[in-house]
Amino acid sequence: MSSFARMKFYCDEKRCIDCDGCSVACDEAHELPVGISRRKVILLNEGIEGKEFSTSVACMHCTDAPCEQVCPVNCFYIREDGIVLHDKNICIGCGYCLYACPFGAPQFPTDGAFGTRGVMDKCTMCAGGPEPTNSDAERKLYGQNRIAEGKVPACAAMCSTKALIVGDAQSVSKIYRERVASVGHGVQSAPYGWSKAYGK
Amino acid sequence: MKKVILLCLSMISAFAQSYAGKVPLVSQNQGVYDGTSRLNSPELLHNIMLYQNWGGLFVNLQIHWFRTLFFGITVGVLVVFFLHYIVIGPKKFAHDGKAIYVYNLFKRIIHWMAALAFVIVIPTGFMMIFGKELGGGTLVLDARYLHSIGTVLFIVSVIPMFLMWLIPMLATFDDVKWLFMAGGYLTKKKVVVPAGQFNAGQKMWFWLATLGGFVMIITGAAMYFEDFDLAILKSLNLDQIDILRISAIVHNFLGMAVTALFVTHLYMSLFAIKGSLDSMISGNKSEDEVKYMHSSFYKKLKKEDKI
Repeated sequence: MSSFARMKFYCDEKRCIDCDGCSVACDEAHELPVGISRRKVILLNEGIEGKEFSTSVACMHCTDAPCEQVCPVNCFYIREDGIVLHDKNICIGCGYCLYACPFGAPQFPTDGAFGTRGVMDKCTMCAGGPEPTNSDAERKLYGQNRIAEGKVPACAAMCSTKALIVGDAQSVSKIYRERVASVGHGVQSAPYGWSKAYGK
Repeated sequence: MKKVILLCLSMISAFAQSYAGKVPLVSQNQGVYDGTSRLNSPELLHNIMLYQNWGGLFVNLQIHWFRTLFFGITVGVLVVFFLHYIVIGPKKFAHDGKAIYVYNLFKRIIHWMAALAFVIVIPTGFMMIFGKELGGGTLVLDARYLHSIGTVLFIVSVIPMFLMWLIPMLATFDDVKWLFMAGGYLTKKKVVVPAGQFNAGQKMWFWLATLGGFVMIITGAAMYFEDFDLAILKSLNLDQIDILRISAIVHNFLGMAVTALFVTHLYMSLFAIKGSLDSMISGNKSEDEVKYMHSSFYKKLKKEDKI
């Protein structure tokens, strides 16, 4: 990884089969409470023939993360590799990051007294938080820190069709370009034939 | 009606964006466009496509304007009143004369309930706005919870307050005259101020606190409950999240106005008119004060032989 590497998610909408495996893997890996979904699979153009597709959405770890800019208590920090994380001990759960987010990534538990909203929770790209790496405190607040262990985030690791890919932007783009070069891009109108799947 | 709301919203958006500017996002949709790609479908992620409407505006206002404006307005109002106190000084009225009973016990209780609500809600609101300076965490989180609790007290007090003062707070011709002479606050002389039971300044504060207060409650509730679905949103081409963004924008701007007039109200009652606080404690105003500060009301009482 070069020093300018930025970690990115990419969901290949041509490969995603709407199995919800990524979101289940995420919920399980981080033992998320009910009502918190860091990753969601959404179906778009539902019912429109040839246009319907699904994709997986979570925090996109934006370069110019608007959540980080609007936070009134400065609880966000962006790692050198571009992963956007936040400190739950500073967050006040005001919800401004949710208003600023184009992807609806920030999640809020509403399990306080009278259904009060707690502090924000979001996808960490399996990179934990500001607490000591792999400590109990980190696991409790942010879930696993798979990045520190050299593992791929849980969602991408289990994706059965490898639609969801994650890594530094250059590698993700390389994989995607190779896919487009080998099988083409665009509407999949007919199933793959022998030639497309295995060459001549 | 729907079209009017739509027109108003788009006008506010256009006006505000011409001032605040748009937030430039680093990367636009960089998907490969080959004419068949579904990634460029206009249906794609409706929410992201419409992000610039309110999301971009909210982000820009929150980054560049809200904190600065709150700070500027608060400091500005305090400085103006400090200078007023030094240069022009407070008004003093004789308190040994006859007393006129103006506020009954019910009105005073309602007033002090609302006052307590404001004393809770305004400082906790400021704690959230300037959360960075306080370091965030439990302190500011608890301030946020207290902000909601203060709101409950405000809801309970604002409804009877709106009803009990609705009639005397309606605008009269005296208010125009009052505004032209700035309520007589710019002169050291004791002048007869044209005003009924309430002057134009008090009326402004009343309407902002009640009608503005209702808007604050609604926008605050939207942000508190966060997840709700209203059928009307679709027809206005708004997403659920847009309501939260609009609520935050409206709540912040109204908050500035409420803060400014709340500080004004405190200054007037505690410093600018000596002894005027008594009327909210005992319910009595001195005859001298009513004669000058509420001349029309005084004449009316005289005519009705109540003094």
